[in-house]
Amino acid sequence: MRASSPLLEVDGVVRTFGGVRAVDGASFTVEAGSITGLIGPNGAGKSTLFAIVAGSLKPDSGRILFAGRRIDRRPAYRVARAGIVRTYQAARVLTRMSVLDNLLIASKGHPGERLRGLLLRPLAARAHERRTLVRAHALLELVRLDAHAHAYAGTLSGGQRKLLDLARVLMLEPSLVLLDEPMAGVSPALRVELLEHILALRRDREITFLIVEHDLEFVMRAADRVVVMNEGKVLLDGTPDEVRWDERVIEAYLGRAR
Amino acid sequence: MSILASGGFWAFVGVVAGIYTILALGLQVQFGFAGLLNFGQVAFMAIAAYTMAILVVKEGWSMWLAAALGIAAATVGGLLLGLTSLRLRADYFAIVTIAFSEIVRYVATNDTALTGGTQGTIALGRVGTASQYNGQWSSFESGVEHALGFSSSDATMLVIVWFVALVLLLLTWLGLRTPWGRVLRAIRDDEEAAAALGKNTFAYKLQALALGAALGGIAGLFYAWEFSFFSPDDFQPLLTFFAWMILLLGGLGRVWAVPLGAGIFGIVFAGTRFLNFAPFTWFGSDGRAYLRLIIIGLIIVILVLVRPQGLLGNKREMVLE
Repeated sequence: MRASSPLLEVDGVVRTFGGVRAVDGASFTVEAGSITGLIGPNGAGKSTLFAIVAGSLKPDSGRILFAGRRIDRRPAYRVARAGIVRTYQAARVLTRMSVLDNLLIASKGHPGERLRGLLLRPLAARAHERRTLVRAHALLELVRLDAHAHAYAGTLSGGQRKLLDLARVLMLEPSLVLLDEPMAGVSPALRVELLEHILALRRDREITFLIVEHDLEFVMRAADRVVVMNEGKVLLDGTPDEVRWDERVIEAYLGRAR
Repeated sequence: MSILASGGFWAFVGVVAGIYTILALGLQVQFGFAGLLNFGQVAFMAIAAYTMAILVVKEGWSMWLAAALGIAAATVGGLLLGLTSLRLRADYFAIVTIAFSEIVRYVATNDTALTGGTQGTIALGRVGTASQYNGQWSSFESGVEHALGFSSSDATMLVIVWFVALVLLLLTWLGLRTPWGRVLRAIRDDEEAAAALGKNTFAYKLQALALGAALGGIAGLFYAWEFSFFSPDDFQPLLTFFAWMILLLGGLGRVWAVPLGAGIFGIVFAGTRFLNFAPFTWFGSDGRAYLRLIIIGLIIVILVLVRPQGLLGNKREMVLE
């Protein structure tokens, strides 16, 4: 596995806001098929780095390679089309649309989403819509939201929104999913379910995950590799066991021992 | 009371409501579906109307061809406005749209050689001749009048305007029910999330703006034909805000709310001229003309308090977060 090139390569990425170097030369890789945890204390630069990988922020310098290609200059929508899809800390479901529409919107290459496709290829658009509908219902069943298909997404609870967000990401058949604090604000029962979903998706669909999470217990259980960031830099990169007892990590979180 | 019973007067009210329907439908596409705050919609009316009139009077074009080019010019105007300004945040974009519509009006006012200036379209042609652009329209209208067996050009105009308005409403309604319309609604809800799902949000916003501009252009053509003459003063920003009032009255995100809002707006707007009894007679007749604005303002205030979603809007869509 080590021999093949990594799926995602973050190489010397720098991003400043005014005088603050939020990300300060961060480098790490994410192997295909892995679950990689990205941890670090508040202000370590995790969220900024996430936004850069997803294309919604541009780095000042450095490169991001996805499957060997540079993506750091692409707009967010093209990064998403290339196969990197992100979720947000507070799930950004489209509240004024139905739960089902939230999934239907996440369809790749839908001819009906283009005016030209609608006019010139109406049958292809209709066929694509039918297939999308079938997949959406299947995913709603998977996350057990099928009973809410026609409710406004804004009526869902925080935990249900996270599930909807996950299902919506899956609609796009991504190869890399970026999860931003998937466990935040989720009940203990739902946490177990979310973890099972993530493990199953990696196993059955070979989806790679990069997860920012403050719940270290979850990260240690789910991840095969953990990247620790502090003050915009990568402090350490290793297996959960290597990271767990490293003094530098403890220091970053708790401060220097006297 | 004679005017109240006059069919011609109410036909006129209906024609104006139809023109406003088309104008506000453009805003509905832009704001009600794509979330674009456009406060310069009147500019697209002006661009189409002037393009048509200038080509007919100065270049001797066929009016129909000139009208098609007028709509095209309004659409291009929307594209140019969008390409330069759509990357701005929503509130800044709104400011640019007002500026855009004022620029169009000021150019129409000051470029006398091109537009006839403050004298309006009557001064489009040679000095000393009163120019008119709607000869072809009048003969078309009387042809329709004859075919329908009508004896009033007001009623004929009413039928033509509402026929076109209904076709445009239907097309818009169908268009927004497609997956394309779904993407617009997603952008309205959360543009960044839509981009994260692979949608080229800029392209969609540009399309919505241009389509709304085309609708504004069509409204401008009917305005020009209905009144046979226009000047830059006809395209004051107030007209854009009338269209916004219609949108708020009817409800956001609902295509069929537009004709309802326009109908009510038209009736209130025309109806205030019958307030010829005390206490309204305390004001002069020109003072009373402003009463209509006050009344419509009051209706909107009450509506926002009692039914913030508009008459046909969905209240749940307003409170969900």
